Amino acid sequence: MQNLLPNGLTRRDALRLAAAGVGGACLSGWMNVVATAAANTAAKPKSCILLWMDGGPSHKDTFDLKPGTKDAGEFSPIQTSVPGIEVSEHFAATAKFMHHGAILRGMNTSEGAHPRAKFNMHTGYREGVGGVVYPSIGSIVSAELGRPEFPLPNFVTIGNRSYGAGFLGAKHQPLNVANATAGVENLKAFVSGSSFDNRVGLLQEMEKAFYGEYRADAGQDHSTTYARAVELMKSKEAKAFDLAQEKTETRTAYGETAFGNGVLLARRLVEVGVPFVEVTLGGWDTHQDNWTRVKANSLQVDKALSSLLGDLKDRGLLDTTLVIWMGEFGRTPKINARGAKPGRDHYPRAWSSVMFGGGIPGGQVIGKTDKEGAEVVERKINALDFMATVCTILGVDYTKQNQTPNGRPIRIVDKGEKVIKELVG
Amino acid sequence: MSLSTGFLRGMAMLTTAVALVVFVGGSLLEAQPKAAPAKLDAAGLAKVIDKAVNAKLAAEKLTPSGRCDDAEFLRRVYLDLVGKVPTAEQASRFLASTDADKRAKLVDELLASPDYGVHLTDLWTSLMLPRNSDNRRLVPEPLVQWLVKQFNENKPWDKLVTEMLTATGTQEENPAVTYFLANNTADKMTDSVGKIFMGLQLQCAQCHPHPFTEWTQKQYWETAAFFLRVQTGNLNQAAKNGTSPGVQELAKMKQGKNALPESAKIVPPKALDGTVPTVKGTEPLRPHLAGWLCTPENRFFSKALVNRVWAQLFARGFVNPIDDIRDENEPSHPDLFTTVSAQFAANGFDLKYLYKAICLSETYQRTSKPNDSNRGSDPTLLARMNIKSLSPEQLYDSFQVVLGSERAQGKRPAVVAPQRGGPQGGKAGFVNFFNLDENWDPMEFQAGIPQVLRLMNSAQMNNPARAQEITKAAKSPTEAVEALYLTALSRKPTEVETQRALAHVKTVGDSRQAYADLLWVLVNTSEFALNR
Repeated sequence: MQNLLPNGLTRRDALRLAAAGVGGACLSGWMNVVATAAANTAAKPKSCILLWMDGGPSHKDTFDLKPGTKDAGEFSPIQTSVPGIEVSEHFAATAKFMHHGAILRGMNTSEGAHPRAKFNMHTGYREGVGGVVYPSIGSIVSAELGRPEFPLPNFVTIGNRSYGAGFLGAKHQPLNVANATAGVENLKAFVSGSSFDNRVGLLQEMEKAFYGEYRADAGQDHSTTYARAVELMKSKEAKAFDLAQEKTETRTAYGETAFGNGVLLARRLVEVGVPFVEVTLGGWDTHQDNWTRVKANSLQVDKALSSLLGDLKDRGLLDTTLVIWMGEFGRTPKINARGAKPGRDHYPRAWSSVMFGGGIPGGQVIGKTDKEGAEVVERKINALDFMATVCTILGVDYTKQNQTPNGRPIRIVDKGEKVIKELVG
Repeated sequence: MSLSTGFLRGMAMLTTAVALVVFVGGSLLEAQPKAAPAKLDAAGLAKVIDKAVNAKLAAEKLTPSGRCDDAEFLRRVYLDLVGKVPTAEQASRFLASTDADKRAKLVDELLASPDYGVHLTDLWTSLMLPRNSDNRRLVPEPLVQWLVKQFNENKPWDKLVTEMLTATGTQEENPAVTYFLANNTADKMTDSVGKIFMGLQLQCAQCHPHPFTEWTQKQYWETAAFFLRVQTGNLNQAAKNGTSPGVQELAKMKQGKNALPESAKIVPPKALDGTVPTVKGTEPLRPHLAGWLCTPENRFFSKALVNRVWAQLFARGFVNPIDDIRDENEPSHPDLFTTVSAQFAANGFDLKYLYKAICLSETYQRTSKPNDSNRGSDPTLLARMNIKSLSPEQLYDSFQVVLGSERAQGKRPAVVAPQRGGPQGGKAGFVNFFNLDENWDPMEFQAGIPQVLRLMNSAQMNNPARAQEITKAAKSPTEAVEALYLTALSRKPTEVETQRALAHVKTVGDSRQAYADLLWVLVNTSEFALNR
């Protein structure tokens, strides 16, 4: 069973389009293979940068503070650029962009264990249910919005490898950049430029001969994927992976941390047209020593995120780039005093995620929790609602069904969703 | 008093006739023939296979492609039976041999090789041990070592599956329990056993009546009921404490908050065909399931395995998807499917017998080159051999043969980005890097750009010393080119290829560089990555 791309193309047809001019006898001009594809006149799709806060950030100490209550914690709220919306004092720079953003304080999900909750928030599905491996939102965006002739992969993960394409297959697996400063593994040829070109030329000839004899579709897939990889190596877009091209001031502004560099790399990738980039910051699982760690993390995020939003705005990209800040759940309203350094434990019943840009009407709060931040009293938002909303903002039809290799239809977002109307304008 | 030979012969003919009639009329729904089928040896079954496949091709007016040449056969059967390409020496020997029986002998040799067990273990563990976050602390090695031994000793499939289904004890005592450790709830066990050993997609019926098949939600939970008392050890705790996790069946159902999924229905155990087990007291239930499933009469067991092996060798099963065997899913060759399944059972569920029978057939030994008649024809009809992508395991093992082992090169295994709970180096890391869905289609090339970048540019794939090693005994550039082809592609170069390679050597000037180039090209070709 073939996974159908938009417009009724099969995956294989899309590959053949991308390799237009490549046929049985005509495998010449690999360097032009991708460029001579039927010119795609569709508008560039929106992009999404997911800042994944691994471990579950405490909502009461970041974006849903409850000052003056019993377990309010150590931080104080500050004003943002939107009167009436307050955030933690450690997001001071990001607070200035609140009029471009929305805080979703009504997050209400049901998975409290890290692996299951992370999977759920990345895919909208529960892991293992129905015997299918569901694709993460990055792979979905790659499949739905990615342009086949685009020389870069359509889904890039920075830091953590995150979740992959599941049944959507190899073409939509993320390219992982373990270390933003080091760049893409194996992007440079092992041998000199001319030597590499010689090799590729010889390889091309052998591919042509093999296809001529065996006419194997798999052989054509092979050739096309190699062509795209070579194209990536030589593309100007690949320079996006080279952080050394940025001014020192910029790198300092984002913070010279792994995360800061990752966010800067994400901006560069979005600038050249990658539709989905995920950057991970871990260390949010603060069962112990909550405030020291949350402060350190918050400051890291604040530096990088505010720089990102400022840069996107300056480049006119903010309206077409949805930036999401979130983890897999929140943390307990009650402080646990088990250890020497108190903390908070897992809490999916009420928590916060934040969105900026992407054309959403800014300056909003969606959902409200009670006095202690323990229950959502207005506008519960579950994983389905969240995913459906993100899809709608990006222009992905979440009701569309993909087929698993077993021929089972799976909606991009399962039924029962309620899109947050206030965010889709 | 003896019966007349005429009478006896008549009876024998009648029995055979009855058996044939029941064979031909048999379908998935009807009971297996009561008269035992005449047992066929591997060569006999191979002939039956060819007769049926050729008959269908004739009916479809398709002319099959001809026999594959020795080089095609050599590489194909090595990859299919031992999961990796031959060495240059093994390739030369086979290609040079003038023994008329060399193909059959090679099949026997490979089935007797310890690498056969390794290859089958790769195939089955990738099905049995799902890669998910619950299994990030799973230690697969004990199961791997045990399975390699079972496959190499050719343990009959019914006994092997029975042992796995009823496994009890700690992982140290009984490595087979790893299967349950990796599928640690009743619904996961049911889904897995259904898919892998019965060829059934049961999992949809967990929450609602299955949309496509006859299985009801009640039947799902009647099957799951066989697993409801199975308790599996906590992998995290075992890892922390350094103990060996275990599996046992309790006297009563598992209790606890999250013991069962929300959709669970507690019903008494019952097999899918309605057979009710006679359970004494609180004795374990799993042996009853195994006793029902792993028999020649069971309508699912033999077919599920035969379909998988057929798909492994031909890229398509009799039924596709291969774990979705139901009436609406018409097999490509219904009677042949029934016959091969019955013969597999009749021959004591002997896996090596099954592989041998298929590999001896003309159908298996067809070239994959299409002709004008069969170009674009339905792959399940087998007018030509279907071309299969090498699995990541086969790629890795083949690179070890062709490029030398990573350890031998003095290199650390390539570093892979931190994988959620997964291994990073060596074969497991390489396989993880490809991260294939368990239902990947072997007729499609399965690598994405990150994988191809690694194949082109990593240190492992760019080792000039290896090219030197391969060509050091060569007395001329022509011999060197031949050595490179025999090592990398298990065949000699054609005249055109030799001339082209020699021209490259001349252009580059430096033979070391040129040979390194050639080696790189050969291991990056479609021909290398595909099993034709």
